[in-house]
Amino acid sequence: MGVWYMPPFELVQPRDLDGALKHLADWATDTKILAGGTDLLPSMRQRLFEPRYLLAVGRLPELRGIAWEDDWVRIGAAETLNAVAEHPQLCQAFPALTEAAASVAAYNIRNMGTLGGNVCLDTRCHWYNQSYFWRKGIGFCLKKDGSVCHVAPGGRQCWAAYSGDTAAALVALEAQLRLVAPTGERLVPVREFFLNDGQRRFVLRPDEILTEVRIPQWMAGYQGRYFKYRIRQAVDYPLVGVAVLVRTSGPRVLDVRVGLTAVNPMPRYFDVPSEWLEDPPEAWVERVVEAVVRLARPLKTSLLVSPAYRQHLVRVFTRRGLRSLLALPTAA
Amino acid sequence: MALHDIRLKVNGVEYTAQVEPRLLLVHLIRDVLGLTGTHIGCDTTHCGACTVLLNGEPVKSCTVLAVQADGGEVLTVEGLERDGQLHPIQEGFREEHGLQCGFCTPGMMMSAYALLQQNPNPTEEDIRFAISGNLCRCTGYVNIVKAIQYAARKLHPPQ
Repeated sequence: MGVWYMPPFELVQPRDLDGALKHLADWATDTKILAGGTDLLPSMRQRLFEPRYLLAVGRLPELRGIAWEDDWVRIGAAETLNAVAEHPQLCQAFPALTEAAASVAAYNIRNMGTLGGNVCLDTRCHWYNQSYFWRKGIGFCLKKDGSVCHVAPGGRQCWAAYSGDTAAALVALEAQLRLVAPTGERLVPVREFFLNDGQRRFVLRPDEILTEVRIPQWMAGYQGRYFKYRIRQAVDYPLVGVAVLVRTSGPRVLDVRVGLTAVNPMPRYFDVPSEWLEDPPEAWVERVVEAVVRLARPLKTSLLVSPAYRQHLVRVFTRRGLRSLLALPTAA
Repeated sequence: MALHDIRLKVNGVEYTAQVEPRLLLVHLIRDVLGLTGTHIGCDTTHCGACTVLLNGEPVKSCTVLAVQADGGEVLTVEGLERDGQLHPIQEGFREEHGLQCGFCTPGMMMSAYALLQQNPNPTEEDIRFAISGNLCRCTGYVNIVKAIQYAARKLHPPQ
């Protein structure tokens, strides 16, 4: 098995959420949470993580189920990406989310990978997501085992790109995350969950479990699409991801939002100011496109395409999404 | 490291095993159960050669812990043949020349099997979507698609 061996760990398999929280009360900083494992297990084989414990949460009943409750649509964090992507009512209500879920990795990965795992995806970088042998050979980076950044030499911050597809839709949808700890729980808007730091990534504490993603039901009135660029359509993480949401009433455009992923250490979003929408779409579509492009700061976290090309695709996807959802003629 | 007792059904046969938690499902299948039809291709969750069905759904078994399959049912390529008769999917790969080196074939066939269970009359696009997590470096996929179309026709002859 060579450099690809799985480091040893103890597996903790609680029966319910309380059991999981009891473990975290004592061992939070020695524990990684295992849902589907499609992100964590390959990374452990690359020795990016060597936790003492894996806490298996994939079968916890509190993390399962998709339900319309009060003003929210509640999706258990351990629901698989295929369960989300193929859920008829979710496809109807939140097409940008289900398109994004359906675009993650490949079909046979989405049967294990979960929505919660996709939200909490580790940030990705050419210099980080490599085997121990490779990283040692090229010089360890500051995200793991080293002190230098190969993307921004001299820099002290990690620029690894957040590469979760579903987050682009979830920030536009104003979803919330339920984070449960031994000491209590909190609801965090997705828009406040992420940090623009490839190393710290988000506000989730080691003793917290993401148990549920919830989306306001009033967002179900939006049309939406998700656009993704990657090298191999069936395998790779996104190098650009754009979710576009539009709400219309007859000829009137009521609201427009754009979510952006894979071009920064965190997902970004742009809500179009309502006063722009008083004018006909042709007057503001390009302004929206440029506003979204300004949010994107792709760096050399991938060597497969240039940052300039990824920036270009942010422009193309945002324009394509807006023009198709607003039924405008395709730009020349 | 504590060992875990697991019980699972593979190709209809009940197995129990004591495993380290870090043991991968593909290593359980190949090294413990001796079913070497399931291949390890890339070790990085890219290629899909290790695809098996877990509770009816295709998964990449190099990214699943054996303990995650505890209590479940696994189907591997060895489970396709019945009484010495090739499954129509296997027949299709033979008749339509759906392989060259053959390394991706077991995983490819398991993804095809899951597809035809759920969708007896897939379009070419359905087929290409279903096998999108299985990489083939030889065929260019054209004959793999034909092989799966062959199996679909054989399993559900047009009325």
